[in-house]
Amino acid sequence: MSGVVRAAWRLGVAAARGPAGRPLSQAPAGRAAGGGAEGSGGSGSREAVERLVRAHPVVVFMKGSPAQPLCGFSNAVVQILRLHGVEDYRAHDVLQDPDLRQGIKNYSNWPTIPQVYLNGEFVGGCDILLQMHQNGDLVEELKKLGIRSALLDAEKDKDKK
Amino acid sequence: MPAPLLAAAGRGLWAMGDGGPLARAIRAKLAAALQPTHLQVLDESSRHGGPPGAETHFTVVVVSGRFAGLPPLQRHRLVHAALRAELAGPLHALAIVARTPQQWENDPLVPPRPPCLGGSKQERRRDAAGGDGDSPRNQ
Repeated sequence: MSGVVRAAWRLGVAAARGPAGRPLSQAPAGRAAGGGAEGSGGSGSREAVERLVRAHPVVVFMKGSPAQPLCGFSNAVVQILRLHGVEDYRAHDVLQDPDLRQGIKNYSNWPTIPQVYLNGEFVGGCDILLQMHQNGDLVEELKKLGIRSALLDAEKDKDKK
Repeated sequence: MPAPLLAAAGRGLWAMGDGGPLARAIRAKLAAALQPTHLQVLDESSRHGGPPGAETHFTVVVVSGRFAGLPPLQRHRLVHAALRAELAGPLHALAIVARTPQQWENDPLVPPRPPCLGGSKQERRRDAAGGDGDSPRNQ
């Protein structure tokens, strides 16, 4: 299993090196800071975050985007999801939105990014997702969401040989 | 081995092994909170675009009976709770391996760390440009 994951790191690095180095498009300079992350209606408010985590079965708060992750830990989450054939999910780049960046940490009471939500529930960061991937829990959790992991098909092919 | 020589050797190892002030604080707090049977505190900042010894990105390997019966999320929350002050301050990223002594005995390997993709370099540029309201770097 760990060999597969190491391959995934390499895939991720190769994928990221392609577009990497292009400047990240910055949020407009004149953007209002708002009344802090928890300002009512702000993008970091509990209500706003709640809407985001419930918008889709799989929601990820990360640095950069799935096409261009800007952090090795965020990239690890993207690569693990990719291994399972999960390409349809909501990804939010916290580097683009300081209020969201703080708001998501308040919401989950979790101090770091990336953060993974399954069915609106906080599951953990990169380390936990990796563990779930390695011990089979991720396949099970995806199944509960009606998502069939691509690894199940890979397993079936293996058995056939 | 004569006592002074042992002490000097100890000091040398301490200087090499224990790292900077944040590493020592992390070690002390985790030791106090979780009474680990095995504890590694690794400054991985140099792997994330910082100079060696920058003390911004850490990996901690914590083996403790306190984790027994707890799912990974709760184990990580215990670690976060012990390091609340550091996480509100200069500790920018924290990778956690949290196992019970039994689990560690079965599998004493730490998974490979993902490679940095320059994120913190992007952030430093943004900080210079006016900040992102993130943790006050007051150390």
